[in-house]
Amino acid sequence: MVKKRTWASIYLFCVFVVLYLPIFYLMFYSFNKAGTMTHFTGFTLDWYKEVFSDKRLIVIVIDTVIVALLSSVISTALGVVGALAVYSTKRRSAKNALLSLNNILMVSPDVIIGASFLILFTLIGIKLGFVSVLLAHIAFSVPIVVLMVLPKLQEMSPTFIDAARDLGARRRDVLLKVVLPFITPGIFAGFFMALTYSLDDFAVTFFVTGNGFSTLSVEIYSRARQGISMSVNALSTLIFLITLAIVLVYYFFSNGIGKAKSYSGGRRV
Amino acid sequence: MAEKMMIQFDHVTKKFDGETILRDISFDIERGKFYTLLGPSGCGKTTILRLIAGFLEPTEGTLTFDGQLVNKIPPNKRQVNTVFQDYALFPHLNVFENVAFGLRINKLASKEIAPRVKEALHFVNLDGYQNREISDLSGGQKQRVAIARAIVNRPQVLLLDEPLSALDLKLRTAMQFELRQLQRRLGITFIFVTHDQEEALAMSDEIFVLNQGKIEQSGSPRSIYDEPINRFVADFIGESNIIPGKMPQDRVVSFAGKTFNCVDQGFNKNESVEVVIRPEDLELKQRGEGLLQVRVESQLFRGVHYEIIGKDEAGNSWMIHSTKSAKINDEIGLYFEPEAIHIMRHGESEEDFDRRLESYEGADHD
Repeated sequence: MVKKRTWASIYLFCVFVVLYLPIFYLMFYSFNKAGTMTHFTGFTLDWYKEVFSDKRLIVIVIDTVIVALLSSVISTALGVVGALAVYSTKRRSAKNALLSLNNILMVSPDVIIGASFLILFTLIGIKLGFVSVLLAHIAFSVPIVVLMVLPKLQEMSPTFIDAARDLGARRRDVLLKVVLPFITPGIFAGFFMALTYSLDDFAVTFFVTGNGFSTLSVEIYSRARQGISMSVNALSTLIFLITLAIVLVYYFFSNGIGKAKSYSGGRRV
Repeated sequence: MAEKMMIQFDHVTKKFDGETILRDISFDIERGKFYTLLGPSGCGKTTILRLIAGFLEPTEGTLTFDGQLVNKIPPNKRQVNTVFQDYALFPHLNVFENVAFGLRINKLASKEIAPRVKEALHFVNLDGYQNREISDLSGGQKQRVAIARAIVNRPQVLLLDEPLSALDLKLRTAMQFELRQLQRRLGITFIFVTHDQEEALAMSDEIFVLNQGKIEQSGSPRSIYDEPINRFVADFIGESNIIPGKMPQDRVVSFAGKTFNCVDQGFNKNESVEVVIRPEDLELKQRGEGLLQVRVESQLFRGVHYEIIGKDEAGNSWMIHSTKSAKINDEIGLYFEPEAIHIMRHGESEEDFDRRLESYEGADHD
C-alpha cells in the first residue's frame, strides 16, 4: 500500500515536471545577462526594466486587461441569463438543442471561430480593433459561463422556488433572493474562466484585431517571430505570475467563502 | 357554518398531459382541524396539496377559500404556507434568515421581525438556534426550522407534504406528537399528506383516504378504521381479514359455511357482501370452542403480538393477532364478538354508506 502510493507520487511528480519545466526554464533565462537561452552568464533584471520601459507594451497590457475584464463581465451577465433560459425551458428537445448549440461553440476550433468573426465583422462593417476584439471575446466566453452556471442551477432543488413563492416571493424576489445567491459560486467560476480565456486567447484575437490594437498574446507572437529577445521571457514570467494569482483568487472564492461561512455558526449539538 | 368552512373543492378535476390525476373531487376543509390526505403513491394527494398551495390550477371545477374563488390566485398571494418533503431550506441563509424570509418579503419592519422569528423558533423548540447554518442542523432540526419558517407568517392553513418521511422511526413518532400539539396550540388548520396509515390514525381529526384520484372515504380515524367502506380502505388502513359472505337477513351474516350474529343492517335479502374482521378482534380458543375452527399454518413473532395465519374448513385464510402463541398444524378455535364483524356492500357510494350506518346506529342508542 505504502509502496503503491510512493509510485503514484513519483508519477505525479514527473507529470508536473514535464508540464512546468519549460515554463521554469523560460523564467530562469529571463534573468540571464547574456540575452540567450543557452548560457547563463549572470543575474540581471535588465529584461524586466526593458519590459516596463516599453510604452507600447504597457499600453497593450492595459488594453488586454480592459478587454478581458469587460468581456468577462458582459459575458457573465449574458451567460447567467442564458443558463436561466436553458434551465427554464420546459420542452426536453428544445433544451437539448439549446445546449448542443452552446457546446458546439465550445468545441469548435478557435481558428474557425476567429475566421468566421472576421468575415462577419467585415460584412457588417465593424472596424477591426478594440470593439471587434471585445465582441469576439464576449461571444466565445458566453458558452463557457453557461456551462459553469447551468450545473449549479440543476443542482438546485426545484422546491426552493416553490418554497420562496409559497412564502410570498414574487418572481423577481425568487430570482434575486433565492436563485442568484444559490448559483453565485457558479457565476464566479464562470467569470474567472471567461477572464482567463480572454487573457490568453490568441487565435480568435489574431483574426479580428486590426491596425493599432493588439493584445499580449498576439504581441508576444509577433515579437517571438522577429527573434527571441529575453524581454519576451520576462513578460511571460510576469503573465505567469499574474495568472497564478488569479487562480489563487478563484480558489479562495470557490472554497474559502463557503467554508468560512459554514463554520461561523458554531458546532452542532 | 360559512364561518367554519374555509376551503372548498367543488367537482375539481386535474389533468396532466391528458392523464387524469384527480377525478371530480369535492370536499370541505373546516377551520382549526387536523386533516390528513392518506393514500398510496400516485393517488393524487400531493396534487391536492399543490392545488391548495397554488402551484397548480384545477383543470375543471372550482376551488374556494372562504367562499372566494382562488383557482387562478398565485401561491404568493394565498394565506397558506407549506412544509416541503425535502424541507427546501435555503442553504445560503442561516436559521434566522430562513425563518425571516417570508416576513422580509412582506416588508415587515426589522424590529418586528426579530420577535416573530424568536416566537416561531420557540414554538418548534429551537430556542437559541438563530445563528446556526442550515448545513449544521440534523434532519429533525431542519424539519423544525421548515415548520417555523411556515408558521411565522401566521397562515390560515399549514400544508405538510410528507414532512416526516425522511426521519427515523423514533424521531418520527416524537414529531407526530409534537405536530399534533402544535396544531392545537396554534389553532389553525393543518393539512397533512402521508402514505403512512399509522401516522394518519395517530394525528388526524379527519382523514381522507385517496385512491387513483378519488376520495374513497373520509371521516374520523376511528370510523375509518372500524367501518371501512370497501376492500381498498380496509386493506390500506390496518390489517384485515376480508371474507366473502351473504346477508340472509338484517343482523345475521353467513360466511365460511356458518351463520353469525352481527350488528349491520339495511341489506337486501341474501345480498352477497364482504365481511371484515380485524386480526386483533379474533380471540384464540381451545380446539372445539369458539365460533370457527382453523388450522394454524404459520406464526410470526411481532414483538407486541404473534401474527398467526390459519385456514378454516371452507378454505378462507385468517390472520390473527394474539399475545398467546399457537403451534403450527394445531386445530384452534376462534371467537369474535358480533360488533367485531363489519359488513361491506359491493360498490356502495360514501353517501349511501353513511346514510345506512346512521339509520341503525341512531336506533341502537335509543
